[in-house]
Amino acid sequence: MIKRKHSSLWYSAMAIIVILTLLWTLFPIYWMLVTSLKRDMDVFDAIPTLWPEGLNIQSYIELINGENPIYGYFINSVITSLGTVVIAIIVATLAGYALSRLRFRFRKSILMSVLVTQMFPLVVLLIPIYLLFVQTNLLNTYLGLILGFTSFTIPFGIWMIKGFVDSIPIEIEEAAMIDGCSRFQIMKKIVIPLIVPGIVTTGIFAFMDAWNNLLFPLTLINDVGMKTLPPGMILSFAGQFKHDWSGMMAASTIVCIPVVMVFIFLQRYLVEGLTGGSVKG
Amino acid sequence: MPNNKFRKKKNNVQLKNRGGNLHDSSKTAVILLAPGLIIMSFVILYPLLRAFILSFYNRELTKPNQNSFVLFENFQRLLHDDTFWTTVKNTFTFTLTTVFISVIIALVIAIALDQLPKKFSGLRGLILIPWVIPGIVVGFLFLYMFDYDVGIINFFLQRLGVIEEYVPWLMDGNLAMIAIIVAHVWNQIPFHTLMIAAGLKTVPRDLQEAAFAEGANRWQEFWHVTLPNIKGILVISSLLMLIRNFNNFPIIFTMTGGGPGESTLTSVLHIYKLAFEKFQLSYASAVGMIWVVVLLVMSIVYIRLLQKEY
Repeated sequence: MIKRKHSSLWYSAMAIIVILTLLWTLFPIYWMLVTSLKRDMDVFDAIPTLWPEGLNIQSYIELINGENPIYGYFINSVITSLGTVVIAIIVATLAGYALSRLRFRFRKSILMSVLVTQMFPLVVLLIPIYLLFVQTNLLNTYLGLILGFTSFTIPFGIWMIKGFVDSIPIEIEEAAMIDGCSRFQIMKKIVIPLIVPGIVTTGIFAFMDAWNNLLFPLTLINDVGMKTLPPGMILSFAGQFKHDWSGMMAASTIVCIPVVMVFIFLQRYLVEGLTGGSVKG
Repeated sequence: MPNNKFRKKKNNVQLKNRGGNLHDSSKTAVILLAPGLIIMSFVILYPLLRAFILSFYNRELTKPNQNSFVLFENFQRLLHDDTFWTTVKNTFTFTLTTVFISVIIALVIAIALDQLPKKFSGLRGLILIPWVIPGIVVGFLFLYMFDYDVGIINFFLQRLGVIEEYVPWLMDGNLAMIAIIVAHVWNQIPFHTLMIAAGLKTVPRDLQEAAFAEGANRWQEFWHVTLPNIKGILVISSLLMLIRNFNNFPIIFTMTGGGPGESTLTSVLHIYKLAFEKFQLSYASAVGMIWVVVLLVMSIVYIRLLQKEY
């Protein structure tokens, strides 16, 4: 085994890059937390303090008791995101399996359109969806918003599940078929247990897309009581004359909590989805 | 990936086996695909067709009685619309610069991480965080950090002596473009880092050793051994993010709203504003159709590359 020997200079350079990367990556998040724990007026100090002076949770209390309670937005976000997850998982598992294992007419064209639609400018679809929802009374409803979210999450999920089913050796299913299992028994007893990681990954991505989505609720919801967190935050904090930085950062922190939880506990699936789903093809 | 060849062979075997009961297959397929196809035709196929048709009419939400067929009028108007051409310029500037800078920085980071001893592998997870932060939060965070008065970026840059006076980042056209690119780069570096890191793992060790044995220096090794091996991944992930960036909405919307003037107005914001602020549904659809075609071409290139690479 011949190996390049690294000089200490090389290692120091690498270490400096890693430290700079960590600073660049983590400072904005740290700064969000620190600001959310400052008092409103402290944010305007000419020389900002880089650490919190005591834990001031006034901004968080105002999110609940103040003028613009984000409690309702939070509930709406949870309902629509979980709804999207459930629909995406069920629909994508069925369709993804069929596209992986069965041979039928139009299979190739369906696969291609599923892949291509993930890359569409969704804002173009939003105009007719808006008109359609006016006609069908789906504007300002959870169902409408969830259906809107699925325009991205279903194609994405189908592609993801198909990839996972592809990687299961077909022999297992063939053996079961010889033993007299029906297609649906095979799916339930053999395939689904084997693709649990794929289903979790699909669910995570569906959740994050719905949770983070601003464009759809901004246009499909105009009733304040039905708004989700992103458009709710726009309503509360955006605008030329609003400068409640501390409140804005507190709300941002709250919005981050679920996705950071996913990140901490389900990182493995996240990485799988990121490197696998988007590129495996 | 290595198991793909194996997978392809499997599919062939499977095709032969299924030859006998193709009919059964299509019936089952219809049942399994039905829910997906029904929802997708409701929220994707129908809207796409209707947007296409809309683009040949003159529908505006504020004028309910006006809805006549105008053929190519919207597209003719578009050709002479300065705002449209500004958004074309902005969109390409924004997407290309964002992806280019992200990939270069990610390449450096990935190589540095690759050199780290095993016990630091937890750091890799930390570096991923910006990628899961919701767009609206990224937007608010950078809006705050780029603020003229209280923004920490002005403060740091002045302390470091890079600038003498505070810079009005989001109030100047070019600076605002830089600011939104920085925000997106922060958000997207983790994606590229992860992809490149995965790619670096596939570079054959014996090739690296051979390069060293033959006296190649580190730069030559990178240029002749590492880079050719990760070229595929670089191209594919760049193209994917290029396509994704065409559709990025929340960060720009919260930071600049397309302003000042039209200096950060990209295609998505332009279509959104035309349709939902000016209510010109038909014209917005026509603009949208142009971008659908642009993205369709890019997607086909992307898919072709994917199939060639794997």
